[in-house]
Amino acid sequence: MMMGSSFPEEVLEHVFSFIERDKDRNAISTVCQSWYEIERWSRRRVFVGNCYAVSPLILIKRFPDVRCLELKGKPHFADFNLVPEGWGAYVSPWIAAASTAYPWLEEIRLKRMVISDDSLELISKSFKNFKVLVLSSCEGFSTEGLAAIAANCRNLRELDLRESEVEDLNQSSGHWLSHFPDNYTSLVSLNIACLNSEVSFTALERLVGRCPNLRTLRLNRAVPLDRLAILLRRAPQLVELGTGEASDLRPDVFSNLSGAFSGCKELKSLSGFWDVAPGYLPVVYPICPRLTSLNLSYAATIQSSDLIKLVSQCHNLQKLWVLDYIEDLGLEALSASCKDLRELRVFPSEPFGVEPNVLLTEQGLVSVSEGCPKLHSVLYFCRQMSNDALRTIARNRPNMTRFRLCIIEPRTPDYLNHQSLDVGFGAIVEHCKDLRRLSLSGLLTDRVFEYIGTYGKKLEMLSVAFAGDSDLGLHHVLSGCENLRKLEIRDCPFGDKALLANAAKLETMRSLWMSSCSVSFGACKLLGQKMPRLNVEVIDERGPPGSRPESCPVEKLYIYRTISGQRFDMPGFVWTKDENSALGLS
Amino acid sequence: MELQLGLALPTNPTSEAFDLNYYGFEANNKEVDRVIGPCYTSSYEEDINDIINIDNNKRSFGQAFENSTRDRVVPRTLPLLLWNNNNHPNEEDDPKDLENHHSLFAANKNVGDGDGDGDGVVGWPPIKSWRKRLCHENQVVRAWNNQMVENGYVWGGRRASNSMYVKVKMEGVVIARKVDLSQHHSFETLTDTLMDMFRKWSEACEKNSNNYKLIYQDREGDWLFAQDVPWRTFIRSVQRLKLLKSSG
Repeated sequence: MMMGSSFPEEVLEHVFSFIERDKDRNAISTVCQSWYEIERWSRRRVFVGNCYAVSPLILIKRFPDVRCLELKGKPHFADFNLVPEGWGAYVSPWIAAASTAYPWLEEIRLKRMVISDDSLELISKSFKNFKVLVLSSCEGFSTEGLAAIAANCRNLRELDLRESEVEDLNQSSGHWLSHFPDNYTSLVSLNIACLNSEVSFTALERLVGRCPNLRTLRLNRAVPLDRLAILLRRAPQLVELGTGEASDLRPDVFSNLSGAFSGCKELKSLSGFWDVAPGYLPVVYPICPRLTSLNLSYAATIQSSDLIKLVSQCHNLQKLWVLDYIEDLGLEALSASCKDLRELRVFPSEPFGVEPNVLLTEQGLVSVSEGCPKLHSVLYFCRQMSNDALRTIARNRPNMTRFRLCIIEPRTPDYLNHQSLDVGFGAIVEHCKDLRRLSLSGLLTDRVFEYIGTYGKKLEMLSVAFAGDSDLGLHHVLSGCENLRKLEIRDCPFGDKALLANAAKLETMRSLWMSSCSVSFGACKLLGQKMPRLNVEVIDERGPPGSRPESCPVEKLYIYRTISGQRFDMPGFVWTKDENSALGLS
Repeated sequence: MELQLGLALPTNPTSEAFDLNYYGFEANNKEVDRVIGPCYTSSYEEDINDIINIDNNKRSFGQAFENSTRDRVVPRTLPLLLWNNNNHPNEEDDPKDLENHHSLFAANKNVGDGDGDGDGVVGWPPIKSWRKRLCHENQVVRAWNNQMVENGYVWGGRRASNSMYVKVKMEGVVIARKVDLSQHHSFETLTDTLMDMFRKWSEACEKNSNNYKLIYQDREGDWLFAQDVPWRTFIRSVQRLKLLKSSG
């Protein structure tokens, strides 16, 4: 580009600094060599969707000055115990590499990765300007690692442990929270909701009291309500709050809390409410009109009538996570009161019960789809569904972008006519042209995949379980969904044919997960041999796949594209293409 | 039933064939074979090698990241399915096929790793472990409540309901009452309700619950002060209640 070379580098760099989206930056880097160079030196934020797709060395070589690093590790189905313990997603090589290459690193965000206390300590000591640590569904660390972060990260703004598993090494006086030095005042966001053990309340109170910029505080269950009132009075500027346990209803606590809440004029998001005595709910009524986000999905003690009273006052609610105690009646009230609702998640209170324990059916979702014009993201667990309902929902909400429906019993047909739900889900993909994420359930044949392949042009992530009849199903999806990035399948009769015929497609996706399907070991071998830019991982806890016939189906299969070749940290139950392994070219 | 595949399958003009099915990986299943290929000649072997040797220089690191614009370089799949009048796909599921599938599914049904649900399938329904734990805890509490129902302290309670009636006696009052504990979540509301119940019988009771102390009999037959224990402990073990006049 002749024009490009007439601009001094500084000018280009300045222009590029306004461009933040990865997609745009990637595009810029392909214009010409000099733009590629300027862009790579100035990229500050990197997102790696699969930590095994690229190595730390490659990352550092290309982007020498990264300030914000985000990594994702295990496949999504790890959330449901489908990925055996020890599979991988260790972050330590990344931290080790970054500790020398990126001294100015400010933010680390990890999802489904394994991080050790040693890594946490290394983070705390290597990055002088470290500001943000988000560990989402991570594991492998304890409160000792947190103590190191607290003690050494002078500029820490955000510590968010959302849904991680933290081992609690409860040393009596060495409580990790008290490791924040007395002159540390920069905390903006603290989420410790996942911690099982008690936190030192004195340390917490003092911390909250001396951090004037604190806007997010998500407490864990062990913080009782009377203590909460104290914290709220110290931090009335809070915007997001997660309460602790609240089971014993006491009038003195009630009035104290009421007073405290009334002082929080900025509060927009509430969560927590473990074991809350419904008698306490009135303390939050004054804040309800300001609330945009409400997470009641841990609140198993609040029944339908109280839920209705609560949500009916939340006229500005945009996001609601709730248990199915809300029932159809509650969802109807929601649809009448919360016209700004964007996201709804309804979780099952008794997921393993055979009989329905609540009056929650497809009708609840239909009501919300009718009454809430901005609703675009849904996660819904229920026990019955019909094609009619799905069609209605699709027509009501063509703006749907994320639709995850879980009918609890696998292969449940349309309860009205006992047919498959192909047509219903077909309506969803047909009408919702911007649908990016879809999870299927219920009785489904290959036909539903035909619809998905035909209409799901913007679909990026698809989750399939107990569905389909043959390889045709898989083929429809792989050949039709142009923007597919992640596909996860379990317990479906999909085998080798569709997979091998669409091998090239796999390089355009981040990953494919298939478990309890019919893909044979031989096909995996072939795929691994012929596609050097894919890692084909056979996860099989029954022992070496080579000891069984090649036609034998593998237990689990995880295929992902990568430019860094085989990984070196595979456990014994993972087999891939390797000169020495059974999958090799021998 | 003939599957009318109205899909316009992408035909790549540069005909970069990429069907690994050619590689003689013989599916046992003749039915699937009939439906999805094979229909290729040996020239595809060269094509495949070409694709594998795609100019590696062109592949930038951007491809490892989200939404890379380089994706278009990757070859498309060939039309996989050729339909002619003789094909009758999915007419009948191959019984052999079904067998394989069923045994595969059966093999995966196991005691769902401590889900507490004996016949559970692993990882289904798809909820995270910590949510499952929460559900279990709550089920334990409900089970206790239902246990009360089964122990005979029921007053017209149906099995499906969660009502939990226990006998209440007030000191000095001949006739006992029954109260549904499932309607309460705290001692405050419970004692208020009880005082209301007994008001007509007691002149001393000015709806002032401070005049009376609530005691309960637990499963071991011991009488305890209700206020001494958290509500949760109380509700799990209470068998019957008594209101004692508090002296001075």
